[in-house]
Amino acid sequence: MQADALTRRFGDTVALDGVSLTIAPGEAFGLLGANGAGKTTFIRCLTGVLLPSGGDVSVDGFSSLRSPAAVRARLGFVAETSRLYPELRVRGFLRFAAGARGLSGAAREQAVERAIERFALGEVAKRLVGHLSKGFQQRVSLAQAFVADPPLVIVDEPTSGLDPLQQEEVRSLLRSLRGERTLLLCTHDLAEARSLSDRVAVLSRGRLVAVGASAEVLGGPDPLALFRAGAAA
Amino acid sequence: MTRFRALVKKELATLFASPLAYLALTLVMLVTALIFFDHLRIYNQILFLYASNTMGGFESDTIPDHINVRDSVFFPVLETLGITLIALIPVITMRVFAEERARGTDELLLTTHLSPGQIVGAKFLVTYAFVVLMMAGSFVYPAMATVEGGIGAEHLLAVFVGLSLHALGLASLGLACSAWSSSQLVAAVASWAVGFVLWDFAWAGPFVSERAGRLLDALSMHPRYGAFAEGIVNLEHFAYFAGLGLLCAALSRFAFDWRRVAG
Repeated sequence: MQADALTRRFGDTVALDGVSLTIAPGEAFGLLGANGAGKTTFIRCLTGVLLPSGGDVSVDGFSSLRSPAAVRARLGFVAETSRLYPELRVRGFLRFAAGARGLSGAAREQAVERAIERFALGEVAKRLVGHLSKGFQQRVSLAQAFVADPPLVIVDEPTSGLDPLQQEEVRSLLRSLRGERTLLLCTHDLAEARSLSDRVAVLSRGRLVAVGASAEVLGGPDPLALFRAGAAA
Repeated sequence: MTRFRALVKKELATLFASPLAYLALTLVMLVTALIFFDHLRIYNQILFLYASNTMGGFESDTIPDHINVRDSVFFPVLETLGITLIALIPVITMRVFAEERARGTDELLLTTHLSPGQIVGAKFLVTYAFVVLMMAGSFVYPAMATVEGGIGAEHLLAVFVGLSLHALGLASLGLACSAWSSSQLVAAVASWAVGFVLWDFAWAGPFVSERAGRLLDALSMHPRYGAFAEGIVNLEHFAYFAGLGLLCAALSRFAFDWRRVAG
């Protein structure tokens, strides 16, 4: 994934200010920042949900501006809160997620079964998504993103709103996925970023204030100072 | 096609998982039945009055020609039903896009391999199918009137097509309103407002020039619907409803592009 001087404005507010960033294939990359730093805007530009005001972002050489369909075909997305259909059953929802990504027939069924097994959803596969605990809902959300085996998976605030046990469950799932494919993890939790990412970037007030190996960037005596960097600027 | 089919299945599953679908089906059938039986009751009372001695000793064969099932029950039922649908259809359409946006699942859809055009197409298709199902259920009572009313099968078919096109036109307006709003309530109120305004521009006639009046009349739904009710099947009326559907689908599709720009 490559972002070149990515800028996004909402009226007079600059949500992203010339962010340039490269994520290598197979890398687990953490995008850090306080609430309102521009992380979600960055992801929305990457997924093609928002048009950038300037610059571009591409996946596998395909620009989200010019070829949004090609970009979408290469990514899986786990939203900040579990944005699911509570009235659907888990298996039915995963069938839809696989079908919406172009899988059909036996290939779709295999993909669904793989995702159910991978994310330990067997015991709840017949239950309504809305009747699941938040932890299970987040697993369903992860399963739908991985169901079609995309090369890039974007995970936005994966443990937000979960209790400590559920948080650990989700983190351990994400840890098990490292190295398998490119993972872009968006979080404001420093410990989470440190334990799950090879490299991190820090956004503050829409600007990129640090990028590097996670131990290097977050290993300082006061990593929170990075969160405040843009605010002081 | 696989992706489109998956979305259509999902739309059907979410629609029929919600009590709103069953409620709407029941409500439309109930309202239609009430309208029908109310007109039938009035018709029977008129017949009774004409047949009674207190009306001056009319004999039953002196009942005027215009007092018949066709003119006293069938057409008034269709007229009332046409207006009632303006209020009922937005209850179905208000949630279609607005609920996705309020839940945030619109972003989930947009990050799959589905294009905005496919999303709009699938949602329109499923809503249209549901509305036709609703109309088929509600048509039972007006159709019953034909047993006595002497309206042929072809006329009845024209009426059903007209009723369905009118309902689909209203559904298209409702879907476009839902596509431009995150609030189901706002979507419903906007659909009601647009539906009532577009129903009949006859009220504007005295305030505008004759030419403008003719133009406004051409935009009204009521004359088209009325023509089908009279058994007149005209290509121009089909084109009107098809144009309305296409315009609303294009507006709904444009809402996606607008959101990409505006955020």
